Amino acid sequence: MTLGVDDTIEEVDESATSPPANRMAVALLSLVALLVSLYLLSHSLGLGGPLVCGVGDCGVVLASKYAWVGPMPVSGIGALGSAALLLVSLMGLQSRFASSSHIALLLLAGTTLGVAFSAYLTYLEAAVIHAWCQWCVISAVIITLCFVASLPELERTRGSS
Amino acid sequence: MASSKRKKSRSAQRAEKRSGSTGGNDMKRFYMVLALVALVGVGVVGYSLFSGATSSAVTAPVEVEGLDDPTTLLEMAKGVEYGNPDATVAIWEFADYQCPACQVFAGQVKPQLDLAYVETGKVKYIFYDYPLQQHQNAFLAARAARCAGEQDRYWDFHDRLFQTQGEWQFSNSAGRGFRSSAADLGLDESTFAACLDSDRHADVVTANIRLGNELRVNATPTLMVVPEGSMPIRLSDFGWPTIQEAVEGALASQ
Repeated sequence: MTLGVDDTIEEVDESATSPPANRMAVALLSLVALLVSLYLLSHSLGLGGPLVCGVGDCGVVLASKYAWVGPMPVSGIGALGSAALLLVSLMGLQSRFASSSHIALLLLAGTTLGVAFSAYLTYLEAAVIHAWCQWCVISAVIITLCFVASLPELERTRGSS
Repeated sequence: MASSKRKKSRSAQRAEKRSGSTGGNDMKRFYMVLALVALVGVGVVGYSLFSGATSSAVTAPVEVEGLDDPTTLLEMAKGVEYGNPDATVAIWEFADYQCPACQVFAGQVKPQLDLAYVETGKVKYIFYDYPLQQHQNAFLAARAARCAGEQDRYWDFHDRLFQTQGEWQFSNSAGRGFRSSAADLGLDESTFAACLDSDRHADVVTANIRLGNELRVNATPTLMVVPEGSMPIRLSDFGWPTIQEAVEGALASQ
């Protein structure tokens, strides 16, 4: 069969050149999580104005001893984790890392850690502190969505380095 | 050749590579959404940071109706008392937890007063809050002590506030320090935090300030010796000899 000029190159799967939608989702979600964490962090450090807490009792949760890990507010840990996820997912959107399985692994590891930490904090709110903070619940939902979005990445990048 | 998968020319692929990421247009749209979310979020957090208040806790006097009426004022203003309730002489102290002189009085003079007169049942001691406007954390401290009082630990917290004054007086997160003190004293943290992070006791503290103003309190601490049925006698200073002389005089007159 004779091939035309355009047929001389390999067929290109559209999904291979489109930005990985899952990584976009992780980036967007982790940005929102970062902002929520910064909002809570400002209050933990006594810098913010009145804490908006329409649902639950954020004051009780943030005042509990579980709101701090040593000298670090839990929201500070959340901010660092979210910033790291945002960075890795944005890196994973660059063309040279678009198919990187290392990035996929990093995202999965990060979000798994985040889900585990959030689950522990949610348990504390429900069973120990007996109070809920809407922002903590929102953070937990966001990190769970990040985890769900990271899962298919492993399959998509299988075989790549 | 027709195919479900689109074929792309080398030049198109090169152009995409040059754009620095895959799917240039999609990425542009994505970065725009990301920037928009970041802008809105930073705006909200920034507004929260610079909106002026330090927390949802009330940290300044509140509007209390009826304080112009002396009877209402005397009903609303409430000092915290200890010692023999039947003692015929009382000592009133108007003090500010953030005032250094009040700290000196609490640490050096009051123990002598307790030992000589309060613990012997001769005198009862009543503490009135008089947080000064220029002390940013004084009103919250007064409320915090009363929140501890809800768990019958007012005096422990009172002492603790003076002992730790240097740690919280200029802090932007004094509330956190108070909660930490409450935890150290074994108070129920959730109950304490819920009280502190509200307007509880703000009315009483406000009424106490007003009472102090009516009694011409113009410095802290201000001490008054109050024999039963008589007007308060304001002391010129808070030194031990002055207190001793005033109390002995009041006891002798009973």
